[in-house]
Amino acid sequence: MSVAASVTMAARGLAVLAAAAAAWGGWSWYAAAHDSSAALAAGRDQVLAAGEQAVQNLNTLDWQHLSTGLSTWDQSTTGDLRTQLDQGQADFTKQVEQAHTVTTAKVLAGAVTELDEHTGSASVMVALQVTVSAPGSSPSVKQSRLLGQLTRTAQGWKLSDLAQASTTDS
Amino acid sequence: MRAARWGVPAVLWLAALGFGVAGLLGRPGPAADRAVVDASATSQVNSQVDTALARILSYTPQDTAATAQAAHDLLSGTASTQYQTLFAQVKGQIGTQRLTVATQVTHSGVVSLTGDQAQLLVFVRQTAQRQGSAASTVDGQLSVTARLIDGHWRISDMTER
Repeated sequence: MSVAASVTMAARGLAVLAAAAAAWGGWSWYAAAHDSSAALAAGRDQVLAAGEQAVQNLNTLDWQHLSTGLSTWDQSTTGDLRTQLDQGQADFTKQVEQAHTVTTAKVLAGAVTELDEHTGSASVMVALQVTVSAPGSSPSVKQSRLLGQLTRTAQGWKLSDLAQASTTDS
Repeated sequence: MRAARWGVPAVLWLAALGFGVAGLLGRPGPAADRAVVDASATSQVNSQVDTALARILSYTPQDTAATAQAAHDLLSGTASTQYQTLFAQVKGQIGTQRLTVATQVTHSGVVSLTGDQAQLLVFVRQTAQRQGSAASTVDGQLSVTARLIDGHWRISDMTER
């Protein structure tokens, strides 16, 4: 075998090895990226489901089943929002019991606008139709556009802040 | 001889770059929902749709042609047909009542993003003013479907929720 021929052989061998290594690297990279984007997509869907449910829960209350309603509020929230709700609970209970109001809500549409799996925080926007019924008057129906912050807890994603973007009569 | 010599490494390089392997195992691409997960694709569709909405839902009596042109450029399919019909009706009013409408997107989010189609939820604030009277503001929410055509997101459907 000539020197030139063996150099060519060696070069070809190296090229094959390099390509095989790159293929393995590419595959690992692909598998990891695929796994993490699938996990992120699942996380996003969980955030949306939890966010929509929590926003609906906080806009649902029946004066005849106050303690059930308020414990659902507690279960749907964490952090500052939960503290605020707990602080306002006594006054709120008094008002609802006097007015005999029944509030129900329907989610019209929702979207996740931010998701940070690393810190366990997320943001959602939810369009909601809220119906408030009180004895002696026809129910009032409003559309409410809400912005929620969620925080991941040991019991899943919970609302830690909720703000009204705008509201209109419908 | 030359072609055969480089033939094998070329195939390996393609595999190395992920094309062959990903193709065999089914790429996550078209079927998977990339909303939020793919931050740059999400923000691109978000900003293009927000801009498009503000342009086609804003008009002045002086410049209905600009709005019509924006609608022509930024809408497709059902949305385009709906819009042309609607705009033909209000065009007269815009002129006779000196009606100016400004639409602002206050919040928007991508609900789903698969392949060349996206669904968005958009909160809008619309301010309308007739010459000589006070301005009125209305808030609302829209569900928007957008399609990626020639590298640009166009609105193909809009529904008030």
